[in-house]
Amino acid sequence: MMTLLTLMLCIGILISALLATYLERRVAAVVSAGLVGLFASVTYVILSAPDVAMTEAAIGSGITTVIFLYALSKTREQPVRQIEDEADD
Amino acid sequence: MADFILNLAVIIIMIAIALGVYRLVKGPTVVDRIIAIDLLTLVSIALIALIAHITSRFIYIDVALVYGLLSFLSVLAVARYLERGL
Repeated sequence: MMTLLTLMLCIGILISALLATYLERRVAAVVSAGLVGLFASVTYVILSAPDVAMTEAAIGSGITTVIFLYALSKTREQPVRQIEDEADD
Repeated sequence: MADFILNLAVIIIMIAIALGVYRLVKGPTVVDRIIAIDLLTLVSIALIALIAHITSRFIYIDVALVYGLLSFLSVLAVARYLERGL
């Protein structure tokens, strides 16, 4: 049962990492990148490393999302394609 | 009997993770995805507590505690960003 659970969590890490790459809106991409840290933290607990899991939960999923959102609020919310079009002009 | 109930709880949590990931992939708007991620956070906290009970190592409860505090902060920051900027 634990093997199946670990496999499913690893598939979840893969899916959320792909979503963080492919999503158009940046807020959804940032939060989806935080989900990678969440699933990795649960995987560390299953692999019996609770201290690593605690650090991953604090830094990888908690602080990184807040810092990314703070940086995003300093820039413009704009899809990637429009910026490339403006660069062509 | 107790093993059966614990296995059933793990299966229910796996179904919940699958449904949350489905809504995360499918969700048309940003708010759907953020709610799905909040759901996945709650399900993961329950999963960590369940693993702590199954393996009888109660130091794992601390991980769930830290995660519960920090995920609340994270979702709060996202909600404030969506409303009027951080």
